[in-house]
Amino acid sequence: MNAVIRRIARESRDFTALVIQAYVLLFRLRMRRAVVVRQAFELGNRSVVFIATTMSFIGLIMVLQSGYQAGRLIGDYSLLGPGYIQLLVREFAPTIGAMMLATRIGAGIAAELGSMTVTEQIDALRLCGAEPVEELVVPRLAACLVMVPALIILAGLFAEIAGMFAARLVFNVPFATFFELRLLTSGDVIVGAVKAMLFGAVIPLVSAFAGLSATRGSEGVGQATTRAVIHTSISIIFLDFAVNVLLYPVYAR
Amino acid sequence: MIEFRGLSKRFGDRPPVLEDIDLQIPTGSVQFVIGPSGAGKSVLMKHVVGLVRADSGRVLVDGEDVTDYGEKALFKVREKVGFVFQQATLLDGLDVLDNVALAIAKRFHVKRKVARERAMTELERMHLQPFAHRFPADLGAGVKKRAAIARAIALDPRYLVYDEPTTGLDPIAARRVDRLIGELKGRGVTQIVVSHDLASILGVADRIAMLHKARVHIEGTPDALRASADPVIRQFLSGSPVGPM
Amino acid sequence: MSGIRGIVAAVGRTALQFAADLGGLAILFLRVLRTIPRLDIYELIRAAERFGWQSAPIIGLTAFFTGGIMVMQSLPYVEQLQAMRLLPWAASFATLREVGPVLIGLMFSGRVGSNNTAELGTMVVTEQVDALRLLAIDPYDLLIAPRFVAMVAMMVCLTIVGDAGAVIGAMVTARAMAGMEMFQFIQLMREQIHLADLASGLVKSGFFGAGIAVVSCYYGLATSGGAVGVGRAVNASVVASAVSIVVIDFAVTAVMGG
Repeated sequence: MNAVIRRIARESRDFTALVIQAYVLLFRLRMRRAVVVRQAFELGNRSVVFIATTMSFIGLIMVLQSGYQAGRLIGDYSLLGPGYIQLLVREFAPTIGAMMLATRIGAGIAAELGSMTVTEQIDALRLCGAEPVEELVVPRLAACLVMVPALIILAGLFAEIAGMFAARLVFNVPFATFFELRLLTSGDVIVGAVKAMLFGAVIPLVSAFAGLSATRGSEGVGQATTRAVIHTSISIIFLDFAVNVLLYPVYAR
Repeated sequence: MIEFRGLSKRFGDRPPVLEDIDLQIPTGSVQFVIGPSGAGKSVLMKHVVGLVRADSGRVLVDGEDVTDYGEKALFKVREKVGFVFQQATLLDGLDVLDNVALAIAKRFHVKRKVARERAMTELERMHLQPFAHRFPADLGAGVKKRAAIARAIALDPRYLVYDEPTTGLDPIAARRVDRLIGELKGRGVTQIVVSHDLASILGVADRIAMLHKARVHIEGTPDALRASADPVIRQFLSGSPVGPM
Repeated sequence: MSGIRGIVAAVGRTALQFAADLGGLAILFLRVLRTIPRLDIYELIRAAERFGWQSAPIIGLTAFFTGGIMVMQSLPYVEQLQAMRLLPWAASFATLREVGPVLIGLMFSGRVGSNNTAELGTMVVTEQVDALRLLAIDPYDLLIAPRFVAMVAMMVCLTIVGDAGAVIGAMVTARAMAGMEMFQFIQLMREQIHLADLASGLVKSGFFGAGIAVVSCYYGLATSGGAVGVGRAVNASVVASAVSIVVIDFAVTAVMGG
């Protein structure tokens, strides 16, 4: 038990060091534009289809579920659309979108950096005088800070469109009735934005840390990828909870 | 007897690994298959158990043509022919005893408990019982290799194929494996050893087949090999980088 | 012109790969079903234990926070409609039926599914799977079918645990943010939540478990290329698992009619 606590303490300390180092370099704008752009493409553009698919299905599911209940309990679907988009913006698009991106982007970063670690490319980098955090982590952080929120907006869009179609085809709710912004407040948008930006930082940092701490042997990279997905996911849930608590007055009017 | 008739194999567009191989391995003998790295020795032996399929030619085990056998039919062949991989390949998730016991349980359809007892007997015979409850990840290459051999022997095979059994072992461990091969010969097991360990080759073999440029370059007794004036064989035996290879 | 051809080729390649994967998954699934009658019970129990203990803490934690989140999202509506009585129902209903199974599925996939792919992948690249075949042991008997059944069973069990955790999280948050006493929360829940709500969530979890099992085993067995290859396989596995969870969820929801 003692050993577990000491290991957690050590990892937390190392992780915090990584975060601080990454942000310091970020604010000093110490990065190569070309690398950041390539990372943005790899992590962002390549995830569009994935996000489009998963979030469309999620949208269909959520509207179907809410619709069935609304029909059964109230018999009135007029609140379906407004309520749905509100929850989407401030909760489900950021959170579920980020959880999805944790698997796609997070596992990808961890697998890539993990492979480099076990094949000793990281050590080789250091010997050439380059600093791994600056070369590898900061560009991915910068790219994700832009791409993840963008993808989350896209996620919301796809979920909304899918929801509109579900409402129309299954419950006969016209598009115009469903796409109703009257319940949506600026508070909702602020909360959604804060979450998106937070998650945009968490995903690359936690995954890069997992990748860079991969152990040797044939299992090392696989385990690093697992750690990345799990730690990122739990961080997202926890941060979501925390933001909901702290910003409750903002969106509860 | 294991027989190869006109066996040929190539992978993709690369030059053939094996070309028109004719080889007979008599029952009860210890046959070594030698040659430089990449000469196709392992590939040839994997044909016997169906891990690799021939492009042309036949493979016969005890007179039975197994060349085109499917997985189901190969099960019967694999019961007769044991195979010890180069990497020992014990299951990482089980300790040494369970590794051997699992093989026994599945082959002879006995309960785990009975299988464990038999496995322990086998391990004791090979002086491996101190390692019975250790896991492969914690063991040295020599112990793992011997454990893999124990697993193969426990299944009472008629033939046993070793893929480079002494590669990566220190000389003492290597000689232990050689002694084991001698003991098994006494028990009537036909053994085929793929190797480039000269000490093993000259010490234990009844017959030696050398593969070179995808063909059988020579086949004969160790004495015949030692006495040969062939430049390829001379280079291999002397270990010199200079020569036709 | 070559730009367009390049795009078409890329799309075509992706489509073919997708179709190949889909076919492979279907074949694996059918083979598992055929193997279930003769699977290795010993391995089944071992796998179930491992999967359960591996993921129980993380799922409990996730569920706790999820319960709290759902309360905080429902609270504004409930307060505005002045229907505080409905808070337990509003928070728990979606959790038990939908959000719980999905998040637990994602966590399970991330923890157990990816571990499974890593383990199987490592076994493939170190020739352990070949060794099994040579010992006349069918890898499906020993490895795949037991893990499949274990994952389905564990997903259902863990969802029960998760549901409990979510309710606790919801109660605590309701007390903290809305001053609703815990016994009151439970009372209202018992009135308004039915067994059918819990059951439908569990059925979904079972299907998620099957999907995660098939996907993780498929990518594990298809691994090639050493340690790096294993990492690639795990990556592909978690992404495909996430997609499969969502697709299966939609199918089950549509069929069950909410």
